Amino acid sequence: MNIMKKIGVFITSLFLVLSISATSSFADGHAKTILFSIKGPGSGNPFWASVEKGAKEEAKKLGVKLVLIAPPQEGDVQAQINQVEDQLAKGVDAMALAPGDPNAFGPIVDDAIKSGVPVVFVDTNGINDGVTFIGTNNKNGAELAAKFICDKTAKGSDVAILTGIESQSTALLRRDGAIKGFKDCGLNIVATQTAEWDTAKARSVTESILVKNPNIKAIFGSNDNMALGAIQALKDAGMKDVTVVGFDATPDAAKSILAGDMTATIAQFSYNMGAYGVKYALALAKGEKIDANIDTGTQLVTTKNANDFK
Amino acid sequence: MVENKKEKKESLFLKAIPYFDKYGILLLLLLMIIGLHLLQPEVFLSWRNVTNVFKQISWQSMLALGVFIVIVTAGIDLSVGSIMMLSLMVLAITSKAGAPWYVVVLIPLVIGMFCGMFNGLGITILRMPHPFIMTLGTLYIFRGTGNLISGGVPISGFTEEVRLLGNGRIDLTWLGLKESQYLPVSVVLIAVVFFLMWAFLNHTRTGKWIYAIGGNPNAARAAGINVNKILVIVYSLCGLLAGFGALILAGRADSGYPNAGLNAELDAIAACIIGGASFFGGRGTVLGVFAGVMIMGILRNGLNLNDVSAFWQQVLIGSIIVVAVYVDVLRKDLGTRK
Repeated sequence: MNIMKKIGVFITSLFLVLSISATSSFADGHAKTILFSIKGPGSGNPFWASVEKGAKEEAKKLGVKLVLIAPPQEGDVQAQINQVEDQLAKGVDAMALAPGDPNAFGPIVDDAIKSGVPVVFVDTNGINDGVTFIGTNNKNGAELAAKFICDKTAKGSDVAILTGIESQSTALLRRDGAIKGFKDCGLNIVATQTAEWDTAKARSVTESILVKNPNIKAIFGSNDNMALGAIQALKDAGMKDVTVVGFDATPDAAKSILAGDMTATIAQFSYNMGAYGVKYALALAKGEKIDANIDTGTQLVTTKNANDFK
Repeated sequence: MVENKKEKKESLFLKAIPYFDKYGILLLLLLMIIGLHLLQPEVFLSWRNVTNVFKQISWQSMLALGVFIVIVTAGIDLSVGSIMMLSLMVLAITSKAGAPWYVVVLIPLVIGMFCGMFNGLGITILRMPHPFIMTLGTLYIFRGTGNLISGGVPISGFTEEVRLLGNGRIDLTWLGLKESQYLPVSVVLIAVVFFLMWAFLNHTRTGKWIYAIGGNPNAARAAGINVNKILVIVYSLCGLLAGFGALILAGRADSGYPNAGLNAELDAIAACIIGGASFFGGRGTVLGVFAGVMIMGILRNGLNLNDVSAFWQQVLIGSIIVVAVYVDVLRKDLGTRK
């Protein structure tokens, strides 16, 4: 009898844990419920932490019920799909989604829209037609970087661009934005070469660019890793007065800026992604029309504000 | 008089033990279903949510079943998640290269089986002291190979035929149901594969030998069973099932991605343990594995529905493993007291 009791106690305690943690939450009749699914937990990546903050504050402001979910690890696409499916089965009024894999989420987004749940993509664009994308306009960001370089260098100076993996849209947009910015203010682009987002490759590529173009005055790296690689090559060649601008505002880049190596970088407004995601998903839930592309903006990071990105 | 009554009660209790032993885990599953139904009465047992659960456990159940037969032989396979990832990546590359769909469908099964066979041969021919070591090694080898051949980037977009198992729908409108009330193909697949495995383990000579090896390998050898041959078969079968998992996942995700199946081997082992398989081999049932997979799937689904953080899921699944095995320990206590 004693054993039976013990088993009973264990099963009961298990369910106690289950029911305590599973604090049931019901949406009140009036507020709309917005599902916000991000790629990874905020505790693992400051980028997502800031998206989370933006979404929560906006939801509070607008008085909507926000269900913000993230898989336990960034990149766990399967867990993210499960979470989204479960929430859609439960019923939400609209969804803001940062798809871990756009293709994998294709059919789920189609189903959601078919069942009357409008969707907006945040941070990463999906493959579904007619769905609004809320994120960084990479072309504008690169143009911002190019304009900054224009202000720093004399007209007609030699400049170079390091591009990312050229089969990716982000890489192409950043390249095109930089080219446009440089041409608009009359700088001379002597090289546009890929270093595949990689620091070591950027160093080698920059080394060969410098051999051919010793008068180079500025380098735009399409991401911070490549900008850091370029800095290594410049240091090696003893060229200290070359302006180097990156993209992404990683902590490493911020440190490099504070140390006086990198000149500037471009930051994405991840907070805006969270806030706009909630705002525009709610607009769709209310039946309003929104633009197909919504820019969350970019910001120049220099020695003045690099401390915020460390 | 009082004595007599107590005895009667006691014997009734003893009579119930074998049933509890056999179906106790199903009882836990049932209790969970009732509990979650009470928490989410509108949603939890809805058609859409129930099919969601089955879709979500589909590939995990293949891995768990594979690991289960290995555990029955008192072995362990840590590499199933990596086998699945490698099979998935090869599938994705073959598909991208434009191979016909039947090749794309067969290739993960072949790759999975060969990976499993590699494990089996390593354990028997290289005489590794424990399968843990061989499969720990191949956990890294297979995942590394998968990353090497794919360059570590996702490869997406498969044809309908390839996606059938993971994403296919069986229309039930002829039963008078709504269009949204379809039956996922993966549910049928789970039923078929689990039934075949049950039949194989319980009604073939090889199946019975697998249990015999796990119970007492030396006795099995003495009885003339070719233990090494059976072990290679078991590990190959486990790899084949991981290949099936890859095929289902390909359909579900429409993408071969480098993080596929990361830590999935631990989920698979957990499902077996919750389902009553013994680490010392020779004990456990296919039905138990199914219940184990279901318990984990339902727990995740239920917590998602109740907006509980994914971190809680980790804590709770861990707790269930410990509790399930403790219940098993208590059951053994009873057995010796008798």
